[in-house]
Order: sequence, then structure tokens, then C-alpha cells
Amino acid sequence: MPSPMDIYKLLPKTNCKLCGEQTCMSFAFKLIKKEKKLEDCKPLFEPEFEEQRRKIEEMLKVVEKATETGLIVNEDLCIGCGNCIVVCPVHVYEDPEGAGSGFGIRLEKPILRVENGIVRVIDVSLCRRYKEKTICVACRENCPTSAIAFLEEL
Amino acid sequence: MWVCTGCSCLCDDIEIEGDVIRHACRIGAGLYLNRSVARTEPLIDGKQTDIDSAIERAVEILKDSKRVAIYGLNNSTLEAQKIAMKLAEKISAYVDNGSKFGKLAEMILRKEIPSTTLENVKDYAYVIFYWGCDIHNSMPRHMSRYTYYPRGKKRQRGYEEDRFLVVVDVRKSHTAMLAKKNAIFIKSDDDRKIIREFLTALEGGIASGDVLRVVKEIKKSDFNVIFGGGGLIEGLGNELEEFVRFVSNVGYFIPTDYRTNSMGFFKSLFEAGIPKANLEDLLIDEAVDTAIIVGSDPLDSMPFDVAKKLAKLKLIVIDPKVSFTSKIADVVIPSAISGVECGGRMLRSDFTEVELKPIFKSEFDDAKILKSILGGL
Repeated sequence: MPSPMDIYKLLPKTNCKLCGEQTCMSFAFKLIKKEKKLEDCKPLFEPEFEEQRRKIEEMLKVVEKATETGLIVNEDLCIGCGNCIVVCPVHVYEDPEGAGSGFGIRLEKPILRVENGIVRVIDVSLCRRYKEKTICVACRENCPTSAIAFLEEL
Repeated sequence: MWVCTGCSCLCDDIEIEGDVIRHACRIGAGLYLNRSVARTEPLIDGKQTDIDSAIERAVEILKDSKRVAIYGLNNSTLEAQKIAMKLAEKISAYVDNGSKFGKLAEMILRKEIPSTTLENVKDYAYVIFYWGCDIHNSMPRHMSRYTYYPRGKKRQRGYEEDRFLVVVDVRKSHTAMLAKKNAIFIKSDDDRKIIREFLTALEGGIASGDVLRVVKEIKKSDFNVIFGGGGLIEGLGNELEEFVRFVSNVGYFIPTDYRTNSMGFFKSLFEAGIPKANLEDLLIDEAVDTAIIVGSDPLDSMPFDVAKKLAKLKLIVIDPKVSFTSKIADVVIPSAISGVECGGRMLRSDFTEVELKPIFKSEFDDAKILKSILGGL
């Protein structure tokens, strides 16, 4: 995962405030949290910064794949065992008779659900990591095929 | 709710909505979504025909043959297996399903080795052994649906506190990678040696640190379970005495044969009183001249030298899908995918009977085809 400093080094560093942020450093932070878009930095789209812009875009590719909680699912590696769904503490609390007892999850909008043999992210707003509340890695820990990863661990 | 027949877990909580199948693993989803891919057609000597003439030709071949072997039946329902046993009795055929779990399954049926159901495992089990099987790949939902991860009546605090996982294998498999907190991976070079070590430790003797740690956990609970796979069967060979003693000291044993209705096969065989044959040995001895292959692909799974001998036999294949064996068969009779297109009953890996809930209907299934062959004779 790229650090805000890596991105800051490639930004114009003029603190022009055109993006609405006070400094380029804070813009770099928000870029990684997906609160700002690269297009908000207008000077970067001028020809003299083209090479730097490309480098930032390359760095942000991995960030774009992740959800708001930093969860990345590699569907090619998933075999649909459902370990991640059963171990998820939120699923166990919200659906003790379903996912908590090993059955398929019965929630209308769970965090994860196995569809067509592959785990899919349905709604991350229930996740304990949403808006940085708790750092929980239960789903990633119990995925031996490494189909689940978190952005900060890349 | 659909009952998945992808492996012997027979998960009964699968939801299907149009082309979306929920909660099933990749095996089950593949079985359902690819149901219309690579289907067989009735063939006689590679030429297309109708199903009745294919059955007639099969009967003719059986009438002319001296010794027949019936192979497969793992994906067939209990009803179809019973008819196959009747057929085997009538033409005194050898019966085999390619699984090596026969001896242990028979011991469970005779109640010589204690066994339990997966529901009990979920509710009460503390120490869970996975011995010689990579369950995460062979039966993907086994751990999350029935054993290690779910919370049960007496095991409310989840896998990290209320379960102890022991994985014994020759390599660090995907299942072994799951042995983290409150769990242990024991690398095995000699299964019998480890069992002997466990027995010594259970009786208060000296053993290695890992074994002693597991024994300490075993003594904490009176409900522990051992899941044994193909690796364990190979490791034990014919000496089962020590293993039986080990199981009765620890708790219960449940086989983990991924073949869908393999336990049903052993039960049907046991009830019919027919000894299980080994097709590979029969082929090496050239003891059979005809084989009926039901829902299996032995040409693909057998060693090359044996498969070459199999290809020389008269082959009658009853299969819903095209396989290597069906491509060289004398007669191919298309069948239905059990659980998807035809109903019936099957046995889960712990000998619990499960009623299938087919979604589509098919005119011909294994049971009907075997019945008409039996009628023709």
C-alpha cells in the first residue's frame, strides 16, 4: 500500500488549496482514504506534471480495488468455503441462528456472502473496521487461500 | 432451499434465485451452474442412438459376458445403489466404488468403532482432529458448516476459545494453515508411530511436547472427534487395532470421504452382504471382461497401466456428463445429475440420511436405467 508521504512527494507541493484542502499533505492522506479524487488536484493535470500523475495513478490502483474498510477480495483465489462469513463477529452477533451456527447467512445485507461459489462484498457499513472503529482481521486470518487481504497489510 | 450434492457434506441450506446460487462453495455452485455443459448422449460404439436401444445393447453385452464389474455409484442415490446391488447379485458381479474407506465404514456400521453425527460435533466437540485430509479443499464447507467454526449448544464461545484444532498431515496443507490460536499442526512421517505415541501419552507415559499438549486438551473434554481422510487410511494400512483403541480413548471417528454418497454405497453393500471388490486388482488379474461404470471416470483416476487394461474391456457407461471413460465406452446411457435433476436419498459422511430436493425433472436417472437393465436380464 502506498504511504501518504510517497504520494505527497509526487504532488505539486504548492499548497494552492484548489482542491479544498489546506495542504498537499492532507490531500495525499484523503486520497488514500478515498475521500478525495485525483481529479480534484487541478495543477497535476497540467502537462509538466504528467509523468508524476501517471506514477500516482499506478500507486492508487491497489487502493481503488479496496472497499471503504480496506478489504480486498481476490475472486480467483476464493473457493467459497465460507470461513470468513462464519467467523465474522458482526455476522455472529446479528445472525446467531444463521451464520453463527454455520448455516448460510440469513441477513438481507450482510458484509460478505458466498454467491456462485465465490465470496462477494455486499455491504461494508456493518464491518467493525468501517470508519476506522476497530482493526479486526478475523476473515483474513481464516482464509488459507489468501483470497482476502487488507490494504494496510499489502 | 436446495441440497447440494457436490461433496459428502450434503449442505442443505443452499438458496437458488435464478442464476444466482447462494452459500454453496465452488464445487456446489459449479455443479448447479454447469449442469448443461458436456452432457452425454445415448451412444452405441460411438454412434448416436436412442436411450432404449442403448439400454437393450447394454443388456445384450451383459448376457454375453462372463464376469462383470460394477464401478462407481458414488453420485447415485441410495435407491439406485440398492438396484445396483440387486443387479450385482443376479449376474454375480464384483462391486467397487474406488474408495479406500471400506474397512473403516464397515467397522462403523458394525459399531466396532464409535462414531457420531456432525450435528453433535457442532454442539459438543472440543478437540477436533483432521488426520490425513485437506478438508478445506476436498469438502470446503466442512469446517465452517459443521465442525470447527460454528457455535453450538455447549460451544457458544467460538473457535478461538471453545475448540481445539489438531491437523495431522504430511505437508502444510491449506487446512494446516488454519491451525493458529488454540490449534496445532503435527507433521507426520509415520501415522502409526504418532498413534502409538498418543496411546502412550493417554496412559500417562512419555511423549513429545506436541502430543502431550494435545493429550492435555483431550482430557479437558469427553467429546472429542477424529476426522480421518485418505492419508490416514494409507498410513494405517491393514493394522487398525491400535487406531480403534486410540479412537475409543479419544472419542469418536468420522470418515471424510469427499465422494458424495460413498457412505451410502458402503451401507448398501453391507446390507446386501456383498464383499467390496477392488477394480484395480481385478484388472491386473484380468478377472473381468465387462464393466458397468456409473457416474465415475476410472480411466482418468486409475494408474496408466491399469487404465490401459480397463480400456480393453467392454464398457457400459451410465453418466450425465462426458468423461474420458464415456469417450471410449461401447455403450453410453445418459443419466440425470443426482440432486439437481433427480431426487432420492443419500448418506452424508457421518451416515446421516439426507433427502434430496431436485430442482429440475429428468426422464431417466440412475435408478430407472439400472432397473430397466435388471428387467432386461
